[in-house]
Amino acid sequence: MENSATLEITIISAEDLRLSHRPLKKNAFVTVRSTSTLNDGGASSTSLDRDGGSYPHWNEKLKVALPASARSISVEVCCKTGTGVRLVAVAAIPVSDFCEPAGYLHFLSYRLRERDGERNGIINLSVRMEGAGPFGRRVQRPLAAPPTMWAKGEERRNYGVAVGHPVGYGYRVY
Amino acid sequence: MGGCFSDVSGGQAGVGVGSRGGLAGPPPETAQQERNDAVDHFLHTRGLRDLYIPLELSLSASKLRNLDVLSKSDPMAVIYAKKLDGMLEELGRTEVIMNTLNPVWITKFTINYHFEIVQPLVFRVYDIDTKYHNTSVKMLKLNEQDYLGEASCTLSEIVTKRDRSLTLKLKYQNRPADAHLGTITVHAEETVASRAAVEMILRCSRLENKDVFSKSDPFLRISRIVESGISIPICKTEVINNNLNPVWKPVTLTMQQFGSKENPLIIECFDFNANGKHELLGELQGSMAELEKLSREKIGAHFYVPSSVRQGHKKMLKGQLFVDNFCEKIQYSFLDYISNGFELNFMVAVDFTASNGNPRSPDSLHYIDPSGRLNSYQQAIVGVGEVLQFYDTDKCFPAWGFGGRMSDGSVSHCFNLNGSLDECEVVGVEGIMSSYAMALHNVMLAGPTLFGPVINKAAAIASKSLSHSHNKYFVLLIITDGVITDAVETKDAIVKASDLPLSILIVGVGGADFKQMEILDADNGKRLESSTGRIATRDIVQFVPMREMQGRQTSIVQSLLEELPGQFLTYMRCRDIKPIFAHPAATSACQPN
Repeated sequence: MENSATLEITIISAEDLRLSHRPLKKNAFVTVRSTSTLNDGGASSTSLDRDGGSYPHWNEKLKVALPASARSISVEVCCKTGTGVRLVAVAAIPVSDFCEPAGYLHFLSYRLRERDGERNGIINLSVRMEGAGPFGRRVQRPLAAPPTMWAKGEERRNYGVAVGHPVGYGYRVY
Repeated sequence: MGGCFSDVSGGQAGVGVGSRGGLAGPPPETAQQERNDAVDHFLHTRGLRDLYIPLELSLSASKLRNLDVLSKSDPMAVIYAKKLDGMLEELGRTEVIMNTLNPVWITKFTINYHFEIVQPLVFRVYDIDTKYHNTSVKMLKLNEQDYLGEASCTLSEIVTKRDRSLTLKLKYQNRPADAHLGTITVHAEETVASRAAVEMILRCSRLENKDVFSKSDPFLRISRIVESGISIPICKTEVINNNLNPVWKPVTLTMQQFGSKENPLIIECFDFNANGKHELLGELQGSMAELEKLSREKIGAHFYVPSSVRQGHKKMLKGQLFVDNFCEKIQYSFLDYISNGFELNFMVAVDFTASNGNPRSPDSLHYIDPSGRLNSYQQAIVGVGEVLQFYDTDKCFPAWGFGGRMSDGSVSHCFNLNGSLDECEVVGVEGIMSSYAMALHNVMLAGPTLFGPVINKAAAIASKSLSHSHNKYFVLLIITDGVITDAVETKDAIVKASDLPLSILIVGVGGADFKQMEILDADNGKRLESSTGRIATRDIVQFVPMREMQGRQTSIVQSLLEELPGQFLTYMRCRDIKPIFAHPAATSACQPN
C-alpha cells in the first residue's frame, strides 16, 4: 500500500451545465475520483441536486484518499435521468493546484469538458489536503514545480498540460 | 449567462442609488456621488459594504499649557482636512470646556473614511478667553484666541491602530514637537455599529412563463419600505435564463440595508428583458422575520400581481418563493480587519522593456527629470505607495523590474530593483524610488513584456506567508507601458494566484493599446480562464490606464485602489477568516434583537 493523504473536498456548486446542448433540468451529482497508475484511490459522490437545474448547488463535503503517485483527481458531473445515469462533463484537477501550502483551504474553479472535449459549464469546489506529510516531496517533482522564472515558451506550455484531460480532448495553444 | 451581465449595467441606477439611503452625513458633491454609486453597486452586488465608511472622531487632550493666570485654560479643538494644495478646510469645532488642562470633548465629528486616498487631518487647540464664553463656538474668531498648539496625522494612521486611538504631541505651527504643549488623542469609531447580516438562498417555483419561444428569465429585486412609504431597492439577484424554478446564488443583506428584522420588504420577481423593460412575474411583501419563518417551516409564499380588473386588489399566483439556508452572521468590515492585526503588504514591479524609450532622452517614459517632476512610473509608485504604506507595518517592500537586460547580457523578467541577487526588499516608498532610479542606470531596456514571472514570484511570497500566518494580504503593483507579449502565460499566472491572498494592480503608462489588459481585469463579469481549464476563483486584477485619468477629478490611485477593500473582504469572508481581536462589545451589539 503506498502512502496516501486524505483530501477533504467540498463540492460547492456548478454553473451553466448542459446535457445534449440543453440546460440541465435536475438531479445533477458529482463524483470525485483519485486515480493513479498503481491503484485506485476510490471515489465519492454527492447527493442529487433537486432544485438547482443547470446551476446546481451542493455544498457537500467529500473525503477521498489520494495515493502518493496520483497526479490529478477527476471530478465528474453526472445526471440521473429516467433512462439511467448520464455523464455530463468532467474536469481534471492537477494535484499541484492544491498540494501547497500544506493544509491550506483552496477555493478552485474549473471549466468542465464533455468526453469529446466540448466546453460545458464550470465547477466550483474547495480542497484541503490532510496528512500532507509524505507530499512535501511532490513539490519538487518536475510536473508540479512552478515554471522556472524566465521559462521559454515551449517549456511553459508543457507545464501543467500533461495532467489528465479526457481522451480525445485536443489541447491547443492559442 | 450573458443576460445577467448586461443587466448589471442596466439595472445599476435602480439598485446602486438606493442602497445608501440609510446613511447619515452630508451628501457628497454630485460628481463624486455618481462615481461612488457605481462602486457601491459593484460592492453590493457582491454583498459587500460601501466603499467609504463613515467614522466618528472624538478628541481629548492632556497636559495642555496653562495660559490663564488665576484659573486653567478653557480649551476648544478645531479639526481641519488638509487639501492637496496644502490649504486647510475646517471640518468642525468642539465645545469649549472650562477650566481644564485635560479636556475630553463631547462633540463628535463625522468623517468619511476612504481607503484609497490619504486623508491628512490637522487638529488645533485654542484657549478661549472668558469674555467669549457666551458666544457660540462657530462665531469665534480663531485669531483672537490663544493658540495652544496643533498636531497632524492621516486618517489611516488612526484606523490602523488596534484601539483606533492615536495620541499626538502638540506643537506650534512649523516647529518641532514640544513636550510642554501636551498631547491630543483622536479616537475613531465606525458610526454604523451593526455588523449583522443575513445570508439566504432564495428560489422560486412555478413562475409564470412570459417569453414566447423559451421560458422566463427571472431575477429578484428586494426593496425596503422606509418610513415615508417609498421603497428603496437594496439588492438584486443575478438573472437565471430560461427557468421557471430558479435558484439564485446566496444573497447577503446587511442590517444596514434591511433596517430591522421587522422592517417590511418588497420582493419582486421580474422576467429579464434585454431592452430593460423587465416584466413583473409577481411580488410579495414580508419582513426578514417572515422570510426566516419560511425557511424554518420550509413553506413557500405565494406571489401576487396587482389585479387588472379591480383597483387596489391583488391576484394570487401559483408561483411561490422559498427561502433555503437562512442564516444570520456577522460581517466584519475592512476596518475591522486592518485595525485588528491584518496588514496589506505592498510589492512593485516596473516595466524595463525597450518600448519605454531611452531613459536619457526627455521623451522617454523612464526619463528622470532633474527638475524633480515625477515621470509616470514615479507617479504611480508614489501614489499607490503613499496610501498602502500605512497598512504595512515593516514598510519593507519587494521591488522588481521586468524585461530588462542585465549586466551579464541576459534578459530577466523578474530582477530585484535594488540590484541585489537575493534580497528583493527595499525600505519605504523612498527605497523604491531610489532603487528604481539606480536600476535605470544599471539595466538596459530590452523585452519582451512578460508579467508571468513577476506574478508567480509575488504569488510564491503570498503562498509562503500562509504557512505561518493568515493575517497578511498582498498587493502587487505592476507598472507597464505596453501590451503583454504572452497573454496566455499572464492569464495562467493570474488564475493560479487567484486563490491566494493577493491582488494585482496594473497601471498602463504611455499611449499603447491596452485592450488586452481590460480582459485581465474581469470587471465585465467574465471569469478568467487559464489554458489548462482552471478558472479564476475571484477577480484579483484591477487595471487603470494612466491617460484615462488625465483631466479627471479622481486620481489614478483612487480608481486603482477602489476595488481593493472588496477583493480583500471576498478573500477573508469566503474562508471565514475573522479579525484577530474582534471586540467582544462590538460582537454582542450586533445580535439582532
